[in-house]
Amino acid sequence: MHEFRVRVGPAAFRVGSAWKAPIDALRRLYGDYPEPALVDFTVRLDPARPWRRYVRPSVLIAGDFMLPDAAPLPLAQGLLAAEMGMNMQMALGWRRHLLLHAGAAEKDGRALVMTGHSGSGKSTMAALLGEGGWRFMSDEFALLDLGLGRRADDKTAAAASQESGAILPFPRLVSLKNEGIGAMEQRVPHWRLGPRLRGTPKGDVRHLVPPAAAIAKMDVPAAPRLIVFPRFGEARAVRTVAPGELFMRLTQASTNYVALGQAGFAALAHFCQTVPARAIDYRNGEEGVELIERLWEEAP
Amino acid sequence: MNDQPEQPEGSPDPAQTGAQGAAQNGPQKEAQRVSPVDRRRALMLGAFAASTIVSVRPALAQTAGSILNCEIPVPDRTQTGRYIATDGQLVAPDTPGAFPPPGRNFTGEEVKQALNGRTLPGATYEQNQAYLNYIRRLQAGQSGFTCYASLQMPR
Amino acid sequence: MDGELLYTRVPDEELLWHPLGPVTLVYHVRSGITHIVMEPVPEILAAMGAGPIGAAAIAVNLAQRFDLPPTDANALIGARLAELETLGLIERAARRA
Repeated sequence: MHEFRVRVGPAAFRVGSAWKAPIDALRRLYGDYPEPALVDFTVRLDPARPWRRYVRPSVLIAGDFMLPDAAPLPLAQGLLAAEMGMNMQMALGWRRHLLLHAGAAEKDGRALVMTGHSGSGKSTMAALLGEGGWRFMSDEFALLDLGLGRRADDKTAAAASQESGAILPFPRLVSLKNEGIGAMEQRVPHWRLGPRLRGTPKGDVRHLVPPAAAIAKMDVPAAPRLIVFPRFGEARAVRTVAPGELFMRLTQASTNYVALGQAGFAALAHFCQTVPARAIDYRNGEEGVELIERLWEEAP
Repeated sequence: MNDQPEQPEGSPDPAQTGAQGAAQNGPQKEAQRVSPVDRRRALMLGAFAASTIVSVRPALAQTAGSILNCEIPVPDRTQTGRYIATDGQLVAPDTPGAFPPPGRNFTGEEVKQALNGRTLPGATYEQNQAYLNYIRRLQAGQSGFTCYASLQMPR
Repeated sequence: MDGELLYTRVPDEELLWHPLGPVTLVYHVRSGITHIVMEPVPEILAAMGAGPIGAAAIAVNLAQRFDLPPTDANALIGARLAELETLGLIERAARRA
């Protein structure tokens, strides 16, 4: 069994693998990340059947938390399997913060949260912002603090005056997909890129190591200032998302909202009450960045 | 599944709490002399059967693509040998009007596209209908249920 | 002959409220379920007071503050009350004799 450990923000993982190659890939790409002594989650890359360790090797993603119906991946996509396994542990097992399926980036001490389905463009947008004056915080999961912030000038504990909790960074490798790969290949040095994985369930995938500043500041939270629902590939448009609709959509973008009970309710309600939200459509990355920069200027 | 309520375009100030301000009733010129308590707005009681409550359900769909590479066997592995009727129920082999199993699992992606109008790979139109109806009937505990549930988009 | 259905609110500590503009969030502590409610639910609950109270009295109370539609307000309010009771947000009290 080959083993790899990494800490990303508040979560520490161990990945155990029947094969060496995925572990070598993880070690190279996560080389600048802290190695934890203790872990929160274990991910395992197991042979789908005993003989599939050697013959047309096939990887089943397993770990502390698992979903039934998982289909195996070929060994060539072992790095993807490890990343999906870590995502699965967070999605099913993380309870210390409200988990939002979102990218996030920080500027001037405040966080932008970008939420949407896979394919909406949030991963590529987070990566682009990270290369363009923003601190990359995450591309897959944004963590919302369950404690509510307080305005500095407000000494009362009245619920209505409380600010939202902070967004915590969770800067794992960025999972670039299809068109997003080309957009970043031209912008970053090659040693920050993993292998191009072809024919995965999501098409072509290539992993990108976040910028050094993002890794160095993985423990620095930021108060949220703006929420954006990006949609790549549509004619340029901006729409305000009202707080009630925002709450509804974010409950569906969170795998642990229900499990967190009252604490999740309070945290998400305050988040939706105090942070403005916009839905944006854009044809390409540059247009998306431009729209976001403009909305950021206008945000309170 | 619950429908989401339609929200009006444009947003109230996110910091505003409580009910909306009163709408005008009666001539505008009276507005200055009418105190707030006399100025009533219309209360929307809705239609008899229309629900005004949406309950939050546990979510997996949005994150499923990032965490789950899944397949749906047709039928469940414990039911090999059964045929699939047009309405998706499992029946004895060679039942008239029923179809033999496809002989392969379908990926979540293939099923998602089939639910959006394409045909499952290798299936005729009628087989496609039967297989999709089988999948739609899946219950918790059956193989493929989690995969199917993860395909449900909120809207 | 059946009398009117009467309802009471559940104790205040069993529901957590958070208005968000035209929509109100309600967290039901016992079930852990979050409900997103729209008009006229918050207004009906406010009009229930200490209870027990039925649709007709709620309609009278609401009519003092709002313009109610000319159609059968009692039936519409009754439908909303039945919905709230199903979700456990209010409770059935004794029928009026």
